[in-house]
Amino acid sequence: MEELFAPPGAEWRPVAPALARMRRLVLSTAAGVAALAVVVLELVLPLPWWPWLFVPVVVAVEVAGWVLIGRNARWWGYAECDEDLYVRHGALFRGMVVVPYGRMQYVDVQAGPLEQLFRIASVHLHTASPGTSARIPGLPAVEAARLRDRLTALGESEAAGL
Amino acid sequence: MSGGAGPDRPFRRLSPLTPLVRGSLVVVVVLGSTWDDLLRGDVGPIGWVLLATVVGGAVFGTVSWLRTKYWIEGDELRVDTGVLARQSRRIRVDRLQGIDIVQPFVARLFGLAELKMDVAGGGAREGSLAFLPLAEAHRLRETLLARRDAVREGEAAVTAPSGTAEREVARLDIATLVLSLLLSPETAGFVAAAVALGVTFGLLGELGGLAGVVPVVLGFAWTEFRRLSAYYRFTVLTVHDAAAPDTPGLPAPTGVQVRRGLFERNTATIALSRVQGVLVTEPWMWRPFGWARLDVAIAGYGREEHHGGPTASTVMPVAPLAAVRELARILLIDAGAPDPLDVVLEPPPARARWVAPLRWRYLGVGLSERLLVARVGLLTRRTHVVPYARVQSLQLLQRPWQRRLGLADLQVDSPQGPVRLRARHRDARQARELLDRTHGLARRARTGADRQRLVRTQQKSPSPSGASSSAASSARESSSR
Repeated sequence: MEELFAPPGAEWRPVAPALARMRRLVLSTAAGVAALAVVVLELVLPLPWWPWLFVPVVVAVEVAGWVLIGRNARWWGYAECDEDLYVRHGALFRGMVVVPYGRMQYVDVQAGPLEQLFRIASVHLHTASPGTSARIPGLPAVEAARLRDRLTALGESEAAGL
Repeated sequence: MSGGAGPDRPFRRLSPLTPLVRGSLVVVVVLGSTWDDLLRGDVGPIGWVLLATVVGGAVFGTVSWLRTKYWIEGDELRVDTGVLARQSRRIRVDRLQGIDIVQPFVARLFGLAELKMDVAGGGAREGSLAFLPLAEAHRLRETLLARRDAVREGEAAVTAPSGTAEREVARLDIATLVLSLLLSPETAGFVAAAVALGVTFGLLGELGGLAGVVPVVLGFAWTEFRRLSAYYRFTVLTVHDAAAPDTPGLPAPTGVQVRRGLFERNTATIALSRVQGVLVTEPWMWRPFGWARLDVAIAGYGREEHHGGPTASTVMPVAPLAAVRELARILLIDAGAPDPLDVVLEPPPARARWVAPLRWRYLGVGLSERLLVARVGLLTRRTHVVPYARVQSLQLLQRPWQRRLGLADLQVDSPQGPVRLRARHRDARQARELLDRTHGLARRARTGADRQRLVRTQQKSPSPSGASSSAASSARESSSR
């Protein structure tokens, strides 16, 4: 089914591996805190035995999340074609969006504190439609800036109005 | 900041009746809350507060009126307002998307109107002038629109407001409106609730309990009345540029005007060049009568959406299907005025029933020469229509359960509004083909539309031969920008 989501005459450019690293760190931290909380409460308070069951649940969530994050990060990709930007996203819920450069209204580059730590940023393309979900997370900061400048320039030269 | 809004500027004021119209609402509210005290002759502290409010309001209103000035300077409409905190608003003429004229009830009694300006970017209604005499509101609207067109075409000289001609194309008669309002899910729910309550209390033998039905009845009546008053005397007109003297008949329409309302008369003009798509809705209760509803998607217009309530996007609340098709063709005139319901729709593959057991029979998508059409809906059949030239972006979407069955959705993104075209549960390979085909057609339509616009601006520019080449090149620049 790979060819179903294939840009015409181009290869998908992957996002930075730092995206998966960052997400896995967030997931592991949350899972660790949850597991630790269960253990501490269980040892300190006189609780029945069954809250211990949360620990394997947390572990299972951690493992499943770890795998999904990897698949998701591999599936993300973008391709700059002659007149359009193709973005592929999701792993379970797959999607591909085609945005003609001429339809772009503006381009956002965002980097939260955690993303700055990992030196990545996300680029978000906006058209006149709120439904356009053309967001590329986890680009290296330099690449994000390059993409933004290129998209802005292309958007200006090809603008098709509404 | 109002830098040099000196008295030498030829500014204009709002209607001097403005404070009275605005104040009347205050007076009504104040009176409404204290009328029983006044009737008893109890002019105590409340009476004084009332008097102070009215006097204060009158002074404030008058000062506010004195301080509110508007004028056109260059390519901007400037509005200075504010009693304590001065505010100066500049609205760029070339950013104007549309101008509506609204007449709230009290203003209508005085022959006044409010001018609402729809500014590109954000989509919010940013500018408003309230209140102007109706004739002046119409005049200002024409002037602003004419100036906008002039600015957009890159002309320095501002021509006088070009005359426009109007022609009525549809009118909603009151019988159809009332019947259509009664044939709604709300009515069905209301009748069911009333019967259930009646039977319950009847069986219990406590008819006094029926008093509990009163709020239900009132709520229902209020909802229906609100719709009735919003859609009352609903008239659709086409707006044409004034015909050249040597050609017979009217030229093709450039806009559609919708007039509606019982207490508050509302006039909205839709520029046909801004139409992003249309939506034909056929609720199951209307189908025996062959009625349908028509909505339009316009960039920056889709904010006022209440579920089922009166919306600005409605071009015809209810009409026979033939009339709706005719109106839809007018709205799609930039795409060559095709009939969207003539497009042959193709159903999804039979295995789609595993993900949409009831709906899959009613799904359909079709590509015509100019339009992309998708139909959805089991009870309420909705036909979403988008001309290729208006496709913003395209998406191929596949959920996990669709992947099992080799299905996928194709979604066409339109500006916020009623039109949300999504071809659901197509064969995955076919969905991808549809995407590529639509994409190619959209690209062609886009460049075609640009060329058309270029030709139109070139024809329109009436510059003398010496300047014509530069005007044409600037027009080309602006259209390809």
